[in-house]
Amino acid sequence: MSHPPSSRERTHSPAPDAGRIKVGVSDLSVATGGETLTTSGLGSCVAVALVDRSAGVRGLLHAMLPNGTGSDTGIERPGKYVDTGIETLIAELEDAGASAGRLEARVAGGAEMLDLTDAVGPRNVARAEQCLDAAGIPVVERAVGDGVGRTVRFRADGRLVVRAADGFERTL
Amino acid sequence: MRVDVRALGACNRLAERGAGQAAGALTDLTGTDLSVEVTGASVASGEDLAEAFAGRESIGVSVGLRGGLEGEAVLAFDADNVDALLSLLPGGSSMGRSAVTEVGNIALGGFLDGWANYLGKAIDMTPPRYFEADGAAVLPDGALAGDGVFLFESRLDATTTDLDFSIYMLPDSGQFRDLVVGKTAPAAAPGADGEAGNDGADSTAVPYESLSTFASLAKRGSANAADNIAMMTGLDTSVDVSRLRFVPLADVPAEVGVEPHAGTVFELQGEPSGYLAILFEEESAAKIAASMLPSEPDEPLGGMAENALCELGNVMTSGFIDGWANVLGTSITHSPPEFVHDIGSATISPLVAKLSRRQDYGFVIDAAIQTEGIQTRCDVYALPDERELARALERLSEP
Repeated sequence: MSHPPSSRERTHSPAPDAGRIKVGVSDLSVATGGETLTTSGLGSCVAVALVDRSAGVRGLLHAMLPNGTGSDTGIERPGKYVDTGIETLIAELEDAGASAGRLEARVAGGAEMLDLTDAVGPRNVARAEQCLDAAGIPVVERAVGDGVGRTVRFRADGRLVVRAADGFERTL
Repeated sequence: MRVDVRALGACNRLAERGAGQAAGALTDLTGTDLSVEVTGASVASGEDLAEAFAGRESIGVSVGLRGGLEGEAVLAFDADNVDALLSLLPGGSSMGRSAVTEVGNIALGGFLDGWANYLGKAIDMTPPRYFEADGAAVLPDGALAGDGVFLFESRLDATTTDLDFSIYMLPDSGQFRDLVVGKTAPAAAPGADGEAGNDGADSTAVPYESLSTFASLAKRGSANAADNIAMMTGLDTSVDVSRLRFVPLADVPAEVGVEPHAGTVFELQGEPSGYLAILFEEESAAKIAASMLPSEPDEPLGGMAENALCELGNVMTSGFIDGWANVLGTSITHSPPEFVHDIGSATISPLVAKLSRRQDYGFVIDAAIQTEGIQTRCDVYALPDERELARALERLSEP
């Protein structure tokens, strides 16, 4: 068996099957069928869920830090940052048939988990609101802030189910 | 030998892709959705690896390599998990040997495909050889001598059933070592450049021997932390695992998992600075706190338990970093404890976010400490700043 070098670069993305796509930290994913997009353990990180209902296209981002612009580590993982993550997610949604003008957003996470880490959670949320506003995408629902971790499921119907660490669940 | 941190990051990414291919192959074979939770490189001598594998039975495949990479690569499953995995197969355990061989072949093929791209040279692999091995016999022949090997470990998780297990890849070849020490300039493979994300002007090459010393230091730190639990609670303790690994930081929260955890986090100040988290699953946290209190608390994890866990965290952290300052020749202190009680991954993600401003990959020390009698377990995660650790390790290697 031979493995010749090739210029084709594979991108690593979660396999969409069994109706569930896991989105990791610093990651983003798009669904065009009935899959549920999930991401877990949102502490100070923020989840941005975008849907174009008429095109049936959804996307979920799990970003860790507010600003990619001018960062030390470069942008090889755009999903690491709220700003580059939202920009990339919108582009991928459009590639999948969505129209930016029809997108609506739900935002979750951005908790103030620790005093040690100077309010990165609220800054993530503020940056998300700012970037979505600049892109003309309305934020229709949010479950953000406080000091509580969250896990989210972005359903095929475009609703975002947010489960808090204490088991309390809300559907946005 | 000096390990180039950036090259190691790129290697880890390739291992992650290989593991992704293995997960895909297993998903196809079993009909159960599997995903890769975390991939890390253990940085340890052959002796450390032998110790890590002691008492474990492994099942897997090995292949010989020729061309761009020469030597041997091994993919191994823990024997404990193989039965659970095989039970998912349509043919049941009779399929075992051929299924393991097939999965191993696909996974190693995917792994080496990435390497070939990175090196810009073809790699030939011999047909897979199935093996069942006790302890360190799983390691390639060259692993236990001299500089040892890098062990890439990926944890796979079944999303719909309660199954998670690790696969190991052990590329053993001179060219591979040349690559991680930065001796070989990789071919201009798209996406390979800068994958480790350490573009700063600071040196990112660390002396291998210093890393090995630091791994031993971390191990002693874990033992000290365990001793301090014993001192505070009067319970016998033992260190189950203590590892120094190189991982993508974004994968660390997934490793902690989504179960509710309670514990304490600390900021480390000095060189290296960073963070340390001591996390117990809820039940363990309540039990260990109760063991320190004169009477049963009203709430299992209320204010009294919180105070007890903070006090425990304080002495554990002091024990953990005790010795670092002497060996590394720096002064390291820690902040007061901050109590956390939440989804495990959510408690650690702010720490990871803070470090991620400057690095995408990091050296992570993780240790599991168990207490006898009341059966509790806690995980300690130390996340040092990579550049500062590199500088400290550099000094360590100076005569």
